[in-house]
Amino acid sequence: MPTLSSSAHCPSYCSSSSKLSTSSSIYGNHQRIAISSIRPKRFVPEKVSLRSNRNSYSNAVRMQDGAVAATVTSIGNETPFKKLRDGLLSVTSPEELGDTAGFDISKDKSTVSITVVGASGDLAKKKIFPALFALYYEDCLPEHFTIFGYARSKMTDAELRDMVSRTLTCRIDKRENCDEKMDQFLKRCFYHSGQYDSQENFAELDRKLREHEGRRVSNRLFYLSIPPNIFINAVRCASLSSSSASGWTRVIVEKPFGRDSESSAALTKALKQYLEEDQIFRIDHYLGKELVENLSVLRFSNLIFEPLWSRQYIRNVQLLFSEDFGTEGRGGYFDSYGIIRDIMQNHLLQILALFAMETPVSLDAEDIRNEKVKVLRSMRPLQLEDMVIGQYKSHTKGGVTFPAYTDDKTVPKDSLTPTFAAAALFIDNARWDGVPFLMKAGKALHNKRAEIRVQFRHVPGNLYNRNFGTDLDRATNELVIRVQPDEAIYLKINNKVPGLGMRLDRSNLNLHYAARYSKEIPDAYERLLLDAIEGERRLFIRSDELDAAWALFTPVLKELEEKKIVPEYYPYGSRGPVGSHYLAAKYNVRWGDLGVEQQL
Amino acid sequence: MAIRLRPCSISSRASESSFNHNIFPARTYHSTWVSQSHSRSHQSKHFEIKSSNLNPLNAISLQAGLTENLLAKENVDTQFREEDFHFTELEKAECNLSIIVVGASGHLAKKKIFPALFALFCEDRLPENLTIFGYGRSAMNDEELRNMIIRNLTCRIDKRKNCNEKMNQFLQRCFYHSGQYSSEEHFSELDKNLKEKEAGRLSNRLFYLSVPPNVFVDVVRCAKCRASSDRGWTRVIVEKPFGRDSESSGQLTSGLKHYLTEDQIFRINHHLGEELIENLLVLRFSNLVFEPLWSRNYIHNVQLIFSEDFGTEGRGRYFDNYGIIRDIMQNHLLQILALFAMETPVSLDAEDIRNEKVKVLRSMRPLRLEDIVIGQYKGYSEGNKSYPGYTDDPAVPNNSLTPTFAASTFFINNARWDGVPFLMVAGKALQSKRAEIRVQFRNVPGNLYNQKFGTDLDKATNELVLRVHPDEAIYLKIHNKVPGLGMRLDRSDLNLLYGARYPREIPDAYQRLLLDAIEGERRLFIRSDELDAAWALFTPLLKELEEKKVVPELYPYGSEGPVGVHYLAARHKVHYADTSS
Repeated sequence: MPTLSSSAHCPSYCSSSSKLSTSSSIYGNHQRIAISSIRPKRFVPEKVSLRSNRNSYSNAVRMQDGAVAATVTSIGNETPFKKLRDGLLSVTSPEELGDTAGFDISKDKSTVSITVVGASGDLAKKKIFPALFALYYEDCLPEHFTIFGYARSKMTDAELRDMVSRTLTCRIDKRENCDEKMDQFLKRCFYHSGQYDSQENFAELDRKLREHEGRRVSNRLFYLSIPPNIFINAVRCASLSSSSASGWTRVIVEKPFGRDSESSAALTKALKQYLEEDQIFRIDHYLGKELVENLSVLRFSNLIFEPLWSRQYIRNVQLLFSEDFGTEGRGGYFDSYGIIRDIMQNHLLQILALFAMETPVSLDAEDIRNEKVKVLRSMRPLQLEDMVIGQYKSHTKGGVTFPAYTDDKTVPKDSLTPTFAAAALFIDNARWDGVPFLMKAGKALHNKRAEIRVQFRHVPGNLYNRNFGTDLDRATNELVIRVQPDEAIYLKINNKVPGLGMRLDRSNLNLHYAARYSKEIPDAYERLLLDAIEGERRLFIRSDELDAAWALFTPVLKELEEKKIVPEYYPYGSRGPVGSHYLAAKYNVRWGDLGVEQQL
Repeated sequence: MAIRLRPCSISSRASESSFNHNIFPARTYHSTWVSQSHSRSHQSKHFEIKSSNLNPLNAISLQAGLTENLLAKENVDTQFREEDFHFTELEKAECNLSIIVVGASGHLAKKKIFPALFALFCEDRLPENLTIFGYGRSAMNDEELRNMIIRNLTCRIDKRKNCNEKMNQFLQRCFYHSGQYSSEEHFSELDKNLKEKEAGRLSNRLFYLSVPPNVFVDVVRCAKCRASSDRGWTRVIVEKPFGRDSESSGQLTSGLKHYLTEDQIFRINHHLGEELIENLLVLRFSNLVFEPLWSRNYIHNVQLIFSEDFGTEGRGRYFDNYGIIRDIMQNHLLQILALFAMETPVSLDAEDIRNEKVKVLRSMRPLRLEDIVIGQYKGYSEGNKSYPGYTDDPAVPNNSLTPTFAASTFFINNARWDGVPFLMVAGKALQSKRAEIRVQFRNVPGNLYNQKFGTDLDKATNELVLRVHPDEAIYLKIHNKVPGLGMRLDRSDLNLLYGARYPREIPDAYQRLLLDAIEGERRLFIRSDELDAAWALFTPLLKELEEKKVVPELYPYGSEGPVGVHYLAARHKVHYADTSS
């Protein structure tokens, strides 16, 4: 078990690529009805089709709001596929595979075209193309695929390739024939120049795509790496002019998903004019992080954690995110959003929901997202008094001067945008009533860190109380799941210091990922792109989730803006405003990231 | 018992020496639990007194129908105890401590007792006025004793400076007295010698009996009658074996009690002095995350494993008479089991802890023949090396059926543990030296990730391992996702390696136990009723094994032991964690 085989990375395509790519193609959303009518039932393994009934329960929540029958069918069609995929992910029995063997012919007939809209942008260069290459290198992409860059700037294919190749790297442990692979990859990259709101230009793209797709069943994935104000235009054009005629069409959208409940709802509504819910993939790259993925595994596959996972044993939960740099001249986008919208409302809240949700019926995307929505809907909207905001000011240390937020040329001098925020949230359900969930996010702090800290209660009637002295906080257990800088999980426990006498010490039961898993951990974008290609929606945000998340933050965001609340200033590179301590103290919490014992 | 207590042949001194128990006639212990009176023990300096908690045990004895005069006595007790405590403080500066190692020329004394005393001395844990007497039959002078001791003294790595100086200071305080173990006269001489060294100071005396069990009672008689301290306490440390079965153990206890009261007897089990055993209680009771899991609801089985990678190696005479069950299981493993499984004690006082341990032992069903697998190692050659069988040992009869390996399953019939198998495995000449406690948790009910594990559900359970050997460590096996795309689960460890976290040398078990005996901390010593309860579990089985002449399963030297253990484990749906796991 501990050894990593290559198939571990990418079980689906490596072990059974043909079956999966085929099965995904038959569930194309666009031509849903036609395709599903020819979908032969026998291709679905027996075990899976039996389960599909059960899975439709999960959709019940969504059906309540009066969705038309067609939608229901489409979801119904999706679930067996996911079941199938899950089945394949585990140790797949050969018999099961045998069922789908008849599909092999169509293997050459299906293809995926990935169109990166906004190909010349920073994100595309830094993250999307490298992630696609990594997937390609690991044989996780289907045999036949095409990558199109789409943007306004004039560029030739060769220029795009040149640009892409500059950011490609091979993983340290996979250097062999890297160049060769890179060449092969670049040969499949093309560029198409066009306006984001021009149906004509997208129609030209469609023609080019068809050329590359040949007569294969074509699946198309659009990655919108563009500013939010042109989301809708691009979606409209892509949907109307370059949807796949024979396979699925999916659109990946990056944050921001609006500024508040209203704008987010407007965006969702506009997207839904052109796309079905299950074509929209709202990406939150934090959910693709390894340890966030691991959170559910820890909770639900270990007996020892679940009994502790409630108000009975957990005193508080802390979700911490910090960066050790500011906006560094790129504050234009940030200033109109602020740290609350940029980090809290999405990344931290999503992690919170995953952390706190009840056990889902299954690991299906809809089941998990249903549970997350339930958590979000059980939460009280944030109050102004449960929030502390800050903004970094300039700081000089050892001759080096670090700029203040408002020194950023792209930021207005009188900006009140918070670059730091701390908040206390509560989930009013049976499991979590009264347990404070503290969030803290900030830029230009003293370190770069993202972690979840679970502080347990005191031991009732602790026999060893007098060995701890007066600081009872030292006596509680703590589970830390650190996402960055180095992935690690550790549980702080009390034990006896070896030696004569009785001195207690807090030490860590730990799992340090770098020590245990020498392989490089894939980037979040890799996982998310692969999931989108495979139609796995677990890590993408559903519309109702997004609504619920905004509902929690919109009132306080409005209040902050209306009252023009001035953020507390903190020096660049410090630990943030002291206000956060008062907030924590109000709920009898101590931030867990302050201790001296930050070893490991 | 007091009734039967015979005065010493010369009772010229008001010989009820140790001030802290002679006030109350021993009679009161006798009618009920032996344990009830023990709360009068010295408090350890680590757990300072809280008078309201002093006599929790008496609650139990009161229920057992004792009358108010006991209650009254309790008050006196408490009062007395305060005095006692002051005295302990005083003692530090003023008193003299004499440690008499009876059997000073023996193996244990040389290898363990003197080095442990020296280590304590080095760390300034012993009182200023210290006298150490070796007592043995061989004729030796002080100088010879010192020479013998010095060969086994080492300095701790982290305390190298002025070690030689310390060593000299230590040796200056070591003396030897030669005498017979059963001669009251010789002990009187010893007493004279001691008095000389004590120079009229108030003196406490600790006798360490490192002698064969058949002379235990003689030594105790002589020591008690002739060499007890006048005005301080007198304590006696006794090494195992504490009898061979319920009867002989009972006889030994009553023999000891002719001359000593319960709180003067310190039955040592050096395994209980090991660091991780001490830590077991800390882990359980000072961490919130473990206690909720500590029951049949979550724990599937518990395994207590003790193995040595060598045989008797020519010293099998003692062993052959006892066997692995008496040598390891009945005391060491059973003690750990009791500590592991006990309910939360009222306090960390020795009596409270020992009360809880006794309750566990008394909730257990005596072992039956079908609950046990026994084995004996046979010769084995590998390459050009060959290892001897147990019966090849010249000190062992050729037809010996003495088990060198045993595995057994226990059940504790109480609310917490009903139905949870406790698997004990102990053996000599096995593949590795290993001592650990493994707690295997149940499967996750309705595990969402079941299909990721394939069919091996054993792989799907969590496990907490407390390892004493080879390297001290605590680890918790958990499931996590293998980093990478896709979803593959892996079992990895949340671990705490002592060596990495605590680079200091961990003190030897004897060091801790000697210190505890000096300080009157009885937590790690075995009380008489504990011992009785422990023997009651094993005696019927031991008798049956001997009467039926059950032949042990032979296993090669250096192997994993007889396969029978796996079948035994399988009967209770347990997967024995042999060295491969």
